[in-house]
Amino acid sequence: MTRTSILLLAMALAVAAAGRAQDAATAASAAAPAAPFADLRRQAPVRGDAQAGAGKATVCAACHGPQGVAVAPTFPNLAGQSATYLYVQLKQFKEGQRRDPVMSGQAAPLSDADMRDLAAYYASLAPKPAGPADESSRGAQLYAAGDPANGIPPCQGCHGADAQGPRPVPNGKPQPPWASFPHLRGQSAIYLAKALGDYKSGARADNSNARVMQGVAQTLGDEDVQALGAYLSTR
Amino acid sequence: MRTIKPMPFAILLGLAGCCMALPAVAGDGSDSMRVGDLQYGNGLDPRGWTPLMAPGDEGMSWLHPGQLRTPSGALYPYPYGPPTRPLGGGDWTYWGLLELGYIHVNGDRNAEFFRQYTDWKNGAALGLFALGFDNRKTGGYVEFRGSRLSADDQYYRLRAGRYGSYKIEAFYRDIPHTVSTSAYPVWNGVGSTDLTLPSGLTPGDSTIAAVQQASRDAPRRSIGLTRTREGLSLEGELYRHWIGYASVTNEERNGTRLWGGPMFFSFAFPSTGSPYGGNGGVLETVRPIDFTTTDVNLGLRNVGKLWRFNAVYTGSFFRDHKDHLNYQNPFLITNVVGLPNAGLVTDGQFSLEPDNDYHNLRLELSRELKWHGELSLAAAYGTMRQNDTLLPPVNCTGTLGFAGGPFQQLIPCADWNTTAALSESSAHARIDTGLFDAKLSFHPSSAFGWHADLRYYKEDNKTRYLAYNPLTGQYGYISENGSQGSVVPGEVGIFDNGYYSTSNVQIANIPFGYDDTLFELGVDWNASRDNSFNLVYTFDHNEPKHRERKRLDEQRLKLSWVSKSLGDATLRASIEYADRTGGHYDYDPYEAYYSASLPGYVPADGIAPTAFTVDAMRKYDMSDRKESKARVILLYPLGESSTVSATFYGSRDQYDAQVGRQNTRTTGFTGEWDWQPSPRTNASVYVGAESTHLKFANVADNEAIVGAAGSEDPSLGGPLYPLENYWHDLDNERDYNAGVNFSHDFGRVRLDLGWNYTQSLSKLDYAYASTAALTHPDAAALTPDDAFPNNHYRSSTFSASLGFPVTRSVGVRLFGQYQSGSFLDWHYLGFDDTLVYDHRIYTDEGPQLHYSVTVVGVMLNVKL
Repeated sequence: MTRTSILLLAMALAVAAAGRAQDAATAASAAAPAAPFADLRRQAPVRGDAQAGAGKATVCAACHGPQGVAVAPTFPNLAGQSATYLYVQLKQFKEGQRRDPVMSGQAAPLSDADMRDLAAYYASLAPKPAGPADESSRGAQLYAAGDPANGIPPCQGCHGADAQGPRPVPNGKPQPPWASFPHLRGQSAIYLAKALGDYKSGARADNSNARVMQGVAQTLGDEDVQALGAYLSTR
Repeated sequence: MRTIKPMPFAILLGLAGCCMALPAVAGDGSDSMRVGDLQYGNGLDPRGWTPLMAPGDEGMSWLHPGQLRTPSGALYPYPYGPPTRPLGGGDWTYWGLLELGYIHVNGDRNAEFFRQYTDWKNGAALGLFALGFDNRKTGGYVEFRGSRLSADDQYYRLRAGRYGSYKIEAFYRDIPHTVSTSAYPVWNGVGSTDLTLPSGLTPGDSTIAAVQQASRDAPRRSIGLTRTREGLSLEGELYRHWIGYASVTNEERNGTRLWGGPMFFSFAFPSTGSPYGGNGGVLETVRPIDFTTTDVNLGLRNVGKLWRFNAVYTGSFFRDHKDHLNYQNPFLITNVVGLPNAGLVTDGQFSLEPDNDYHNLRLELSRELKWHGELSLAAAYGTMRQNDTLLPPVNCTGTLGFAGGPFQQLIPCADWNTTAALSESSAHARIDTGLFDAKLSFHPSSAFGWHADLRYYKEDNKTRYLAYNPLTGQYGYISENGSQGSVVPGEVGIFDNGYYSTSNVQIANIPFGYDDTLFELGVDWNASRDNSFNLVYTFDHNEPKHRERKRLDEQRLKLSWVSKSLGDATLRASIEYADRTGGHYDYDPYEAYYSASLPGYVPADGIAPTAFTVDAMRKYDMSDRKESKARVILLYPLGESSTVSATFYGSRDQYDAQVGRQNTRTTGFTGEWDWQPSPRTNASVYVGAESTHLKFANVADNEAIVGAAGSEDPSLGGPLYPLENYWHDLDNERDYNAGVNFSHDFGRVRLDLGWNYTQSLSKLDYAYASTAALTHPDAAALTPDDAFPNNHYRSSTFSASLGFPVTRSVGVRLFGQYQSGSFLDWHYLGFDDTLVYDHRIYTDEGPQLHYSVTVVGVMLNVKL
């Protein structure tokens, strides 16, 4: 074996040893094992028993309001939201892909049927009434057309022209999981800013839809987030 | 406000989001900068990125599942996931991988086909070192990767830039190219410009036995070269939509190559029993390779909404640092008329490739038109120049040739071994090229489109060199450093108004060139949702300069059909027919470049010069030709995860030639089955077969009447080219390849298996009207089947790799490869006892008839 060979192998072993030590340290500091990534690309629309859901929503109403309209702007409005989106969120809270001090605990005891029923119930409620949105505002412009110069895509592509979800026309071609995209109309600016911030920071990253939103949120500055929040909360 | 359609945009967004999650690993595609190589890999890892290429679940889009088929139904491979989890906080993240290991080669490690492009060695190797930095906020990135098997087989590449703004690339690479691993050159100084005979051999005075012994004593050598390439490129936006790019690549080729060493025909003068052998000499020498090629690329482009513009300058500068090869001849050369030679021809000299420069400036402009149309214009000017200092015609000293009676064929070397013997001190060679191309296309509806293209290209050869020696007033040049003129009367290679007034020799270069005008008209028709047709007509008008024809016209029609009406299958079929005709065929358009055209030329014995060639000869690029081609590609998806594809193709070329190439035929088939049920598993099986056939006809000249009455007659069937000397050969080749590849990730262990097989068989049959067609009529008895022995090449490679993690960041890869093959080429037969036959010295023993090699190794990879 040549001197170069010995040197290279010694380097490899040294680096391997260092890697093993680093792994040990990482393993020691790591918390519970990460929940598996949720691939929503084949997510079928969710159905549930809205009536049964109504009976299970008592606790939810404390924050999200008796009719699904949140009692404070830090909480999302659930009324009229996509049932599939709601189900996926509950499931991810329960399984640990999405974490929240309150919701993780609330979702933990729910059965799959419970989550479907709750989702169906809130989807069946009338959404928060529309407000006097400024269609010439920066937020309206971003929502409808984005800002190509800054790489910002238009939100309406996935969330619908009226922010009440997309209405795709079947054309026989593979379709994205439209039902799993949330309706944004009427959500509070504070909650929207938090959600976009979570996507941007990676706090919400463990499903395929979040990966799309991660890319979008990277393009948005603070002023853009405020403008979008102001526009959507008043629609 | 522009309306944005929701769904297509969503798809684009999903694609973009998916790709943003990946580092720049996948960015090895084509690039406008044209620096470096498109593929960086080596024998250990031809793909270059294997330790980082882990197919991921992510797929092609975060929005759609699947999306793993092309529009025609072929499977895309699963896209690779991030190589490692990015590290670091803040805007910059980084990732890295180091793979080091040990390789051991066992078996016929020097087999030529095993070493051809890889410098396998026992010892440590750097499999891959890759390091990347990414700034998700600014789009900035830096990426480095390298691999090293040996000092002659390594690459390193650095890329940096900011997406949408600028990019820089620098690289360094060594690539081996082995030509022979069993060469036994008898000369000293291999690799230099001077090949000298070893002690024991005397130039011009060695016996056959002594040369055979020197060949046996010569050490075994490898012949080949190493390409060392390095380059730098830049590209960035200079002002708004104006993008500038520049690159420079330098390639040095160093090594050796098998070469020649003529000392006039040897076969015509076989040994008659003398220990010094017969006459003449054919030597297989070794020449040095010491080249540098520097390529420069400078460009500016603008991509607007309507207009697109591109201007690019390309320069290529070739330098040969060794401009000649001198070699010594061990054998005695004597004239055939029995006179004493004035001197011995002991040296040969080659002038090697001259330095040359190439410049090309190309301007392209295109504009969008209505009806989904586009107008594209391109114009280019190029010039190739070579003005190296010329070497003297010979490097001999004293006097060569012979004198006696009517033969006064003395060659005073002093009149020819100086640059004063040249008409010009340098070559002044120059070829200018010009191009204009205009293309117009429209797609007024989704069902119909058409395009028209007019292209003009000119190659103007301005080189005019007259071989004239002002010291002697003679034209032409001394053939083969004086050897030919030392053997045969009248064949010195020069012309004058005295002794050589009957010599018809070439006195000037022939400035080949051509003008070419091409017109193309094509239509696309989508007849239905599942069927589309394309028809293209091309008319190519070519005007060659100083060739057998002054005009060549070719008309070509191609019809293509794409159909998805056969269930899930996609069918692509095309047929093509072309007919080439031309003006009058002049079998000898070169008279002006021979001394017979000079005043003072006197036909020997009043007989016109011997015919240049037979008038029935039709060179393959000048003859009338009918060409037909067909291709059918069938692709059938089997379920969601596998595809079967088959391609049938064939071409036929029929040349209107009694003498020359008469026809060629190619028929082939490829079949493939791909299966990838998940990102963790993929398998493929492929087979291919191709048969090629070439028929060539010729007529041997009647040596008995050369220089006598009738030898000026070029007609087939005439006294110089009698029909009984007519012959033809049939070259048949069959090639096969097949392979099976399988990969599966078991979770803890990843297994890769592969077997690839290549085989080539060739057979050369011939037929002749009579044995008079043969140079050696006696040889007819040696090949009663009228065929040369079959040649064959076969290579089989089985490879296996097992990779498993030791810790989260450390992994091990065990791999092995078993390669075996066989080779037979009758050109290399008869070298078992000696490489020296009479006055012929062979250097290359040829590739190994059978070989088998095993490569095993272990690689340790560490991810940051």
